[in-house]
Amino acid sequence: MSGSSMMPSSVESVIDLVRAAHDRRAPLRVVGSGTWLDAGRPCTTAAMLRLGALRGIVAYEPGDLTLTALGGTTLAEIESATAAEGQWLTLDPFGAPSGTLGATVASSSWGPLASAFGTPRDHVLGCEFVTGAGDLVRAGGRVVKNVAGFDLVRLVTGAWGTLGALTEITVRLRARPELDRTLIVTIDDNSPSNVAHTAWRWLRASDFTPLAAELLSPGLSAALGLEPRACLAVRLGGNEAYVHAATEALAHVGELREVSEKLWPMLAQSEPVAAMTLRMSVLPSRAGYLWDNAVTLAERHGGIAHSTLVRGVARCILPANDDPTLLSELRRSMATPPEGITMVGERLPAPLWPVLDRKRSTAKLLDGVRDAFDPAHIMNPATAGAAT
Amino acid sequence: MSVSPDLAQMLRAIAGAHRVLARPGELRAYESDGLPGYQRRPAIAVFPGSRDETIAIVRLLAETKTPFVARGAGTGLSGGALADDVVLLGLHRLTRILSIDGENARAVVEPGVVNASLTRAATPFGLHYAPDPSSQTACTIGGNVAENAGGPHCLKYGVTLNHILALTVILPSGEIVTLGNADGECDGYDLLGAFIGSEGCFGVVLDATVRLVRNPQAVRTLLADFMAVDGAAHAVSAIIASGIVPAALEMMDAPTIQAVEASIYAAGYPVDAAAILLIELDGAAAGLDDDVARVEDFCRQAGARAVRIASDPADRARLWQGRKKAFGAMGRVSSHLVVQDAVVPRTRLPAMLAEITRIGIEQRVKVCNVFHAGDGNLHPNIGYNGNDPAESARVHEAMTLIMHACIAAGGTITGEHGVGLDKLPYMEALFTPGTLSAMCALRQVFDPDRRSNPGKVVPVHSCREWHAAPSARGKTE
Repeated sequence: MSGSSMMPSSVESVIDLVRAAHDRRAPLRVVGSGTWLDAGRPCTTAAMLRLGALRGIVAYEPGDLTLTALGGTTLAEIESATAAEGQWLTLDPFGAPSGTLGATVASSSWGPLASAFGTPRDHVLGCEFVTGAGDLVRAGGRVVKNVAGFDLVRLVTGAWGTLGALTEITVRLRARPELDRTLIVTIDDNSPSNVAHTAWRWLRASDFTPLAAELLSPGLSAALGLEPRACLAVRLGGNEAYVHAATEALAHVGELREVSEKLWPMLAQSEPVAAMTLRMSVLPSRAGYLWDNAVTLAERHGGIAHSTLVRGVARCILPANDDPTLLSELRRSMATPPEGITMVGERLPAPLWPVLDRKRSTAKLLDGVRDAFDPAHIMNPATAGAAT
Repeated sequence: MSVSPDLAQMLRAIAGAHRVLARPGELRAYESDGLPGYQRRPAIAVFPGSRDETIAIVRLLAETKTPFVARGAGTGLSGGALADDVVLLGLHRLTRILSIDGENARAVVEPGVVNASLTRAATPFGLHYAPDPSSQTACTIGGNVAENAGGPHCLKYGVTLNHILALTVILPSGEIVTLGNADGECDGYDLLGAFIGSEGCFGVVLDATVRLVRNPQAVRTLLADFMAVDGAAHAVSAIIASGIVPAALEMMDAPTIQAVEASIYAAGYPVDAAAILLIELDGAAAGLDDDVARVEDFCRQAGARAVRIASDPADRARLWQGRKKAFGAMGRVSSHLVVQDAVVPRTRLPAMLAEITRIGIEQRVKVCNVFHAGDGNLHPNIGYNGNDPAESARVHEAMTLIMHACIAAGGTITGEHGVGLDKLPYMEALFTPGTLSAMCALRQVFDPDRRSNPGKVVPVHSCREWHAAPSARGKTE
């Protein structure tokens, strides 16, 4: 079975395939469009269950600001359908827009818009999935508020497909702002930690809530065609009076330059195809400390970094490398993260994953959940982010 | 009695003699929650005064395999905190706010902290706790977590789920676990998300790290009154579709307005209106009045007779008090009240309100509506005389018809009150057997003996089916 690839075109065939795999104890790798295949811990099986044919928008009522799509629907398709109605799905994960909604939710991927709108767990209203035993579950619903029964939606969001294959998802949409302006703020200070802290303080104290506010390392700024120095990319959305006032307020933080909103898709796709990606997170008030550590790590490995300041998260993108000295150095940094910093892997070479394993008080619960939804452990075995 | 006769004595040894109730007369106060239609008498009620006592009690209950129900202030509206001949674990004495971190806009609190007290404590930092159930002056954070509570301002700010960063929980087995990570990201399954809204079936919260929200720079509260319910419903749809996200968007119909105006909570609502909308916009002052003007236009286009803006904070508070105490005001009208909590897609609001009216007329009951219109979260409620069996039967029938109509419209049976006992009969109309089985399987992970809030949320027979289903299939081979 290893190396095979299945592309079911209906939920019924997904159920049949998973049931058969379950009965034979044959592991499956659940795949959306395959764009982010390298994301996550290398899966220990090559038999692919491709959900790319389960594609299309099932229901979209603009007046309700909700949309239901099959798991294999690409973010690009959703983008174009909703843009026609002046709406959008406020999830902008890193990677190509050919990534699927199912993969975005399964991996709980998010991008700069999470500053204002949160992550997939804040967007998903309902979903349908096929468990590792081949049972069909329809959790949540299509309404924006729902507490009926236990929250299986949150459970499978970010479970990396290890509890089931997502076949249909309902998300909350938002109206696009009247004005959508992107500004580059350059803060005049040579200390990276001061730059980060100044930016964070403004975001914390301001009456304005930018749609996104992302601190970029000098290398990343350069890659995006900006001046090669650290800067804050801010996306402001709202009516004219609001955006105007927010722009004026930002002018007190640093020098402003308006750029095209194309910066954001460029940022989403700025990382090399084969990169190692690590996230560091900390209490948001320690933005300066976080940024110092993230930039130091990134630059040491010839990489780039950016930070979603209000979430207290920095992403370090390091070029793929098989230099044993550098890798063992990285292993050391990961094994002993700086005080107060949590490290989460996004994309790493196989030998580095076990370094991030840590003892958790919830180990028994995590194992129990896995056993309950994937009793034969056939779904994406050994995948990152899940109980392993 | 399903609990051991020595248990009360053992509980007294932990919590003190005065903190354990075992005589039927003393337990009567704990027979109901905020929904007066259900009475279940606990076998014993115990009220720990500290975290350590709580832990000791849960561990004793584990050792003695005793079923129990955790309870906060007992303001719930689903019968969820009723203990039927089992132990009731009251947590309302655990009222310490352990810390407030103004810089990072968060607080760590014990489960018995009252929702409104938390906001009061956060005020000096320019912050507040956003989820604001109408019972916020009494309900507790622990109860809010259990129910994934909402409130009017959840339209813009999100429900409890969006405001909890981490929880320390004692599982029914007595084990203590940390869900979520208050100081950074958390990988692995979202057990925090699964726990919030689990209605006391997964364990007991020992402390919660909550997110606080910055107080808005400016607030505008609008009162729009309509001569037709349909017009108000269409105004709601227009506002939502425009992309303006009000902080709150509430509707009250004529019977509700009249009940409020006749009570001590009178807010100055127009008593001859068919419906009013209470609309709040907040945020940065810049641009806010432009949005207010647009909202006003939407209301007038939908037939609003008048739109007025609260003149000052006192006026604003009065407008809100009428809304938040509406159920209390109904108490003057009749001895019993049944409240539902269904949600429909927002474009279906006008049609659903018409259908509810039709059902009310058909069943000869008076349905009042006061609800979170912006979320599509309806609270149809019927006042009645519970001692009149014929009227009670008609009320029950009307509610059943309303719930099924909401499900048929693509909605759900509860948006914020929880399933508890009250909505159990509708779970099978909403979810497939496979989905209910999956819910049972999840509960089983947290509480394998099903001792924590037994018999709530998922119909018991759905769980029986589960054992013959997937996991069993996996393990018998």
